[in-house]
Amino acid sequence: MTARRKRLFRLPWRSARQIRDDVDEELRFHLDMRVDGLIALGHSPEAARAQAIHEFGDLDDARRYIGAVDRDIEAAQRRSDIMHDLWHDIGYATRKLRAAPAFALAAIVTLALGIGANTAIFSVVNGVLLKPLPFPQADRLVRVVYTQQGHGDAGTPMDLVDNRTRATKFVGFSVIEASTANIIRNNADAERVQGVRVGANWFDLLRVKPVVGRFFRDGEDQTGAENVVVLSEQLWRRDFSGDPSVIGTSVRINATPHTIIGVAPAEQRYPLSSELWMTKRFDARELNDGSRGARWLGWLARVKDDVPVAEASAEVTRISEAMEKQFPEVLRQRRAHLASVQEYLTGDMRKPLFIMLGAVALVLLIACANVANLMLVRATAREGEMAIRTALGAGRGRLVRQLLTESVLLSLTGALVGVGVAKLGMLQMLRRAPQSLPLVGTVTIDGRTLALTAIVALITGIVFGILPAMHAGKHDLATALRAGARGTRTRPSANRAKRTIVVAEVALAVTLLTGAGLLLHSFAKLLAVDPGFRPEGVISMKVALPGRTYDSTATRNFIRAVEERARALPGAKSVALANFIPLDGSSYGFSFTIRGRPPIRPSDQPSTEVRQVTPDFFSTMGMPVTRGRSIASSDQPGTTKVLVVNQTLAKRFFPNEDAVGQSISLGWGEDTSGELRQIVGVVGDVRSAALEDEPEPTVYVPIMQAPYSNLSILVRTNAQPSSFAAPLRALVRELDHEVPVYSVQTMEERVASSVGRQKFYATLIAIFAGVALVLSAVGLYGVIAYAVSQRTHELGVRVALGATGDRISRMVIGEGLALTAIGAVIGIVGSILAGKLITSLLFGVNATDPATIVGVIAVLGAVAAVASWLPARRAARVDPLTAMRGD
Amino acid sequence: MPAQPMDLLQGTLDVLVLRTLAWGSMHGYAVSRWIHERTDGVLEIEDAPLYKALHRLERAGFVSAEWGLSENNRRARYYTLTSAGRRQFKAEESAWRRYAEAVFKVLEPA
Repeated sequence: MTARRKRLFRLPWRSARQIRDDVDEELRFHLDMRVDGLIALGHSPEAARAQAIHEFGDLDDARRYIGAVDRDIEAAQRRSDIMHDLWHDIGYATRKLRAAPAFALAAIVTLALGIGANTAIFSVVNGVLLKPLPFPQADRLVRVVYTQQGHGDAGTPMDLVDNRTRATKFVGFSVIEASTANIIRNNADAERVQGVRVGANWFDLLRVKPVVGRFFRDGEDQTGAENVVVLSEQLWRRDFSGDPSVIGTSVRINATPHTIIGVAPAEQRYPLSSELWMTKRFDARELNDGSRGARWLGWLARVKDDVPVAEASAEVTRISEAMEKQFPEVLRQRRAHLASVQEYLTGDMRKPLFIMLGAVALVLLIACANVANLMLVRATAREGEMAIRTALGAGRGRLVRQLLTESVLLSLTGALVGVGVAKLGMLQMLRRAPQSLPLVGTVTIDGRTLALTAIVALITGIVFGILPAMHAGKHDLATALRAGARGTRTRPSANRAKRTIVVAEVALAVTLLTGAGLLLHSFAKLLAVDPGFRPEGVISMKVALPGRTYDSTATRNFIRAVEERARALPGAKSVALANFIPLDGSSYGFSFTIRGRPPIRPSDQPSTEVRQVTPDFFSTMGMPVTRGRSIASSDQPGTTKVLVVNQTLAKRFFPNEDAVGQSISLGWGEDTSGELRQIVGVVGDVRSAALEDEPEPTVYVPIMQAPYSNLSILVRTNAQPSSFAAPLRALVRELDHEVPVYSVQTMEERVASSVGRQKFYATLIAIFAGVALVLSAVGLYGVIAYAVSQRTHELGVRVALGATGDRISRMVIGEGLALTAIGAVIGIVGSILAGKLITSLLFGVNATDPATIVGVIAVLGAVAAVASWLPARRAARVDPLTAMRGD
Repeated sequence: MPAQPMDLLQGTLDVLVLRTLAWGSMHGYAVSRWIHERTDGVLEIEDAPLYKALHRLERAGFVSAEWGLSENNRRARYYTLTSAGRRQFKAEESAWRRYAEAVFKVLEPA
């Protein structure tokens, strides 16, 4: 709105004091003029003065008012001056960059890589770790976590009763239990989807509204209530074509009819991958103090809006302490506390992601260093220009501001391109991300990410621009002008700055390379781990038999039928069924006691993984039976109860005696009566949970003696194992069309996907390290090449004095390698310090692994040698005559 | 006996100052004398509100100010109408005329 007259020359800025003086002078002038006028009319000087002051009115008020108005005017003027300068600087910078397209392009590409990598990783960090879960007041949602004697522990139905009756600081509690869900619609093939069983108040706790229909009502989680199900929006759209009229209709789930009551919104699912929700019902036997030992449930709770989470946590801890007093044996040292739901979902991604963030920050620093070097070279070339501007009256601050505008313009352009790089990079990255990473599917470049990118770009521009700008600001005018007339010569301080920057760059690259090397090395070690079974040639899949239609006998019949029919498939070598698949991550542990040993308190009893398997399991998986016998087809319900133990159990619990022939009692199901199982054999260890985890004590029980409804089918073949997927599917469908086959994978695929995360992280950091290496090699090349071009004269003299080309090029390469060596030493120290951060991500490799460090130095040395050899070759070819004449 | 001086209506001063400066650049004292003489003392205008008006108009961008030399070789602050000020004056002037005409229509015998 303020239309101010444009001035050709800017007025100097006025201070508050100057404004006051100006106001006083203006008013004094007025009064003096009036007094003179009145005297001319015949008044006495005194009377004239008095009249002038009287006519003026309230002088002090006017002075104050005018002063305030003038300060406003001054402030507005300053703002407009600054904006004007900025526009001018931007225009000037744009023209200057256009005039040097190679420089601008190099800088923008470098910055786009650096900033883009940061944007991509930050968007993942933001989406996974920072963005709250998609529920109203998500920070009030907590898990109730139990520990017993310091070890993590699951919940029991009685915990729910305790907390519901005693706690006051909560809106409510709900159990959550993963549940297989074989769902059948319109006589189509059965499909197996992720499901959970929860309390009737589940969606009230989450504060979610249904897309259509309704959610659970009070009492729908009681025994005897009608079976109801809530579908996810995804499942509803995929299998029910998003038809609202399915509400109220019936669908068969796990061979039981369920009424569809509602649809949960796609983006507000919890658990994140759940496709349907049913109610968890406890029977009287479970809601009994006698069942306090059977723990398998998970918890979700919502803390009241006005209660601090810490207070609520203290309350559940108090409740668990009170319960221990009532049941000191079974609840010994069992404690509850609250934990963040988000941290639970993403806890193991937190550290790797922050390490990635650190890695990309290093890449950005290297990019900054490179561009700073480019700017320094340019600044040298522009000394003449700067000198002339100084001569024309530009202050040092003004020059610095001008150059910073240029660098910020570069970094903002780089950021713009970088967001594109990030977008592409993220597409690739998320496509390769292992499925097990939670929330990754929701990652986008949102406003927060863009804002951060802008801030990073701004800071980047200042970081790489400040050094060259400061350099440009201080120089000897006369020298620069004189030099400017015939091409410039680098000042020693600028050369020092360039070398320092290259050393820093190399050091940062070494740190990153070492990190990448360590992760890659540990990944290789992980792949070299013997899993204890032979995965090649084996296909695996899962089926879940609905409890309603499969009692023990039906389950045995099903197992037998699958075994027989699968064996008949051409190419099948052996067939096994079990309640687990190695490396699938499932764990199923029970406490046990050894016959003939002194009795142990229940909470101190050792525990073992329990696996139910068919006789051919060990041969199918290629696990060697080292002592005794394998499980035999003669081990049937009526015969002696037997089991096979793994070597870890045998070594740990029978160190000096033969395990075979001993008997142990498992604290589970039908064996709670104290019925013993005799150890008939010892089998080799397998890595069951993950390749990096040491084998746990494990027992293998004949599945015919303890049938189990969640089964895996494993077939070792002579042919391509994946070609067995279709016939095995068909075979199971023939047996029961309501039992879907799912999770079909070859064992080799399972091994690969079990290390998917490690591979993902190692790949990412290797990419960043690669970029870092290339950038620092380019930086080194730039500095050496520039030094050579600056020293043409000197090199010419040397050649004239008899130095051979070889000697010259050795000298130049030596200089490059010297810079590299200094950087490498600093970098290795840095990476040893940083190595502590990634120790927890390493497997079988120490953070100071000498092999990795030697490897990094070798790679770096080779790259540095090439980067210095190129300019050295040019130096060796210097013609002394041209060189000396040219100066 | 001269008529009793009238109170200044709100906003009147601004339009008078703009009108005065339409003649050309002048310093505050000149503006004061000019208005005084033109109104034959009918409008009692103190100098304090006049200076306030000048600076207020400067802040609004209707006048610009520069230091210059006065007739008697002293430093004086000269005010000049800007093009925005010229537009503002035209707008206020016609508003004033309409207002005055309306008042006259009421006062004149029918």
